Amino acid sequence: MSAIKKYFRIWWLLSTRSAQVAFVSRFGAIGFLLGKLIRFVFFLFFLFILIGQTQAIAGYNLWQIIFFYATFNLLDTLVQFFLREVYRFRWYVVSGDFDFFLVKPYSPLFRSLFGGADPLDIPMIALSIVFVVFSGIMMGGISLFGVAFYILLLANSMLLALSFHIFVLAVGVLTTEVDNTIWLYRDLTQMGRVPVDIYLQPLRAILTFAIPVGIMITFPAKALMGLLSFQGIIISIAVALLFFRLSISFWRFSLTRYASASS
Amino acid sequence: MYKYFLVARNTWDETLAYRLNFVMWRVRTILQLLTMYFLWLAIIPQSSSFLSYSRDLMLTYILGTSLISSLVLSSRTYEVGDNINNGTLSNFLLRPINFFLYHFARDAGDKAMNIFFSLGELTILYLLLRPPIFFQTNIETLLLSLFAALLALLLYFFINLLLGFIGFWSPEVWAPRFIFITILTFFAGGLFPLDILPKPIFSIIELLPFTYLLYFPLKIYLGQLMLSEIFKGLMISGFWTVIFYFIARLVWQKGLRIYTAYGR
Repeated sequence: MSAIKKYFRIWWLLSTRSAQVAFVSRFGAIGFLLGKLIRFVFFLFFLFILIGQTQAIAGYNLWQIIFFYATFNLLDTLVQFFLREVYRFRWYVVSGDFDFFLVKPYSPLFRSLFGGADPLDIPMIALSIVFVVFSGIMMGGISLFGVAFYILLLANSMLLALSFHIFVLAVGVLTTEVDNTIWLYRDLTQMGRVPVDIYLQPLRAILTFAIPVGIMITFPAKALMGLLSFQGIIISIAVALLFFRLSISFWRFSLTRYASASS
Repeated sequence: MYKYFLVARNTWDETLAYRLNFVMWRVRTILQLLTMYFLWLAIIPQSSSFLSYSRDLMLTYILGTSLISSLVLSSRTYEVGDNINNGTLSNFLLRPINFFLYHFARDAGDKAMNIFFSLGELTILYLLLRPPIFFQTNIETLLLSLFAALLALLLYFFINLLLGFIGFWSPEVWAPRFIFITILTFFAGGLFPLDILPKPIFSIIELLPFTYLLYFPLKIYLGQLMLSEIFKGLMISGFWTVIFYFIARLVWQKGLRIYTAYGR
């Protein structure tokens, strides 16, 4: 328990510092926030236009499609909020500053992942929650079990996203390549803005299990709609646990290859 | 002019020097393209249409955005703001080169590489997916489409320079660019042809410069515009290009007056 308290205090300390840095340039902070808001609203508008003409995409109606999109945004912004430090990781490796993480009396993986939450994501998280709730209500026919499975699978998706980011860090340690890998992850998850059911096979299967964008984004929304079987839920959790285990092993392996060459 | 050719060639070589970076960038571009491709494939079932777009026209439009983006939207002018902020602009001011032409040459090298890859990717995607594609065979239409794309290239170049020149007044050059790219993604027609928007919205968007970057050249290629509409579009696009050229020049001159080579 005291370890959790200690790590929470470290996270809080790093995040408050990170918030101060983010607001050094208020113009920049407002600009980025505005950009994120515009991006969210524009794609939403695009979906409204699409469904206005077709009534449904791959069998999903307007509010279901909005719900998928809102779920994607919620996960995307939550992950960015908590794991923003990963975007700065390359610099720590090439400058040798990563050495300082290794000698501190707490986990270097924790420091590399959670080294500063991004306060600019908070308004987008709030907006996404509003849209998740609103589109959920508009869809109707939601059971308490559906809500419970949705929350459970969202947590599962966070674990998957965390695993992806650990893979990215490990690749960063081995090759100093972080930026492109993380953006590749972002682009892959962008494919989940709409339910993965729209993609043809074998792409759909790849997006569901090999690069589990489907499990991350489509499955939680489907669980709420009552469209996911119990086996689907079990498979989701099993895939996330497997990915997490593999990512931790890969991270440990990468540390054995770290040469501290830049310090 | 030979020196600018060398700048373009150096940019090409520079891209090849950072091959992994570039390949990852192209992979990302393909993923973004595939997302839109499959979305539209799901929306328009076989032998059906979406407003004025049959399945083959829509898929041609979406795949065409990849090629036109490579020609129009690939750019190195994002460096301009950093050049100003870290003081490396001074190096350019001391050399016997034109700053605008230098960056235009950098863009040309970058575009050449992107077009080369884009053509390769589209060929592979065509062989793999076998999409129903519309091939324009009318030479005049093709030439008009190319001309519109070249005008768009100039327009985009001047807009980008202007965004970089923000660096004269503020160290924060990325936030405005982020907003610009976000707006551009939507209003240039990268996600969908703009004329599927409600008519009142489209008639406003039609007057904005973004429309002429991707949507307009592709719409000409698809043969969906009458000659009078093409000339109207070219006039608007030309108007914006000239306006942005003069604004960029004016801002450049004003910026140089307050430039202090901070960072050097």
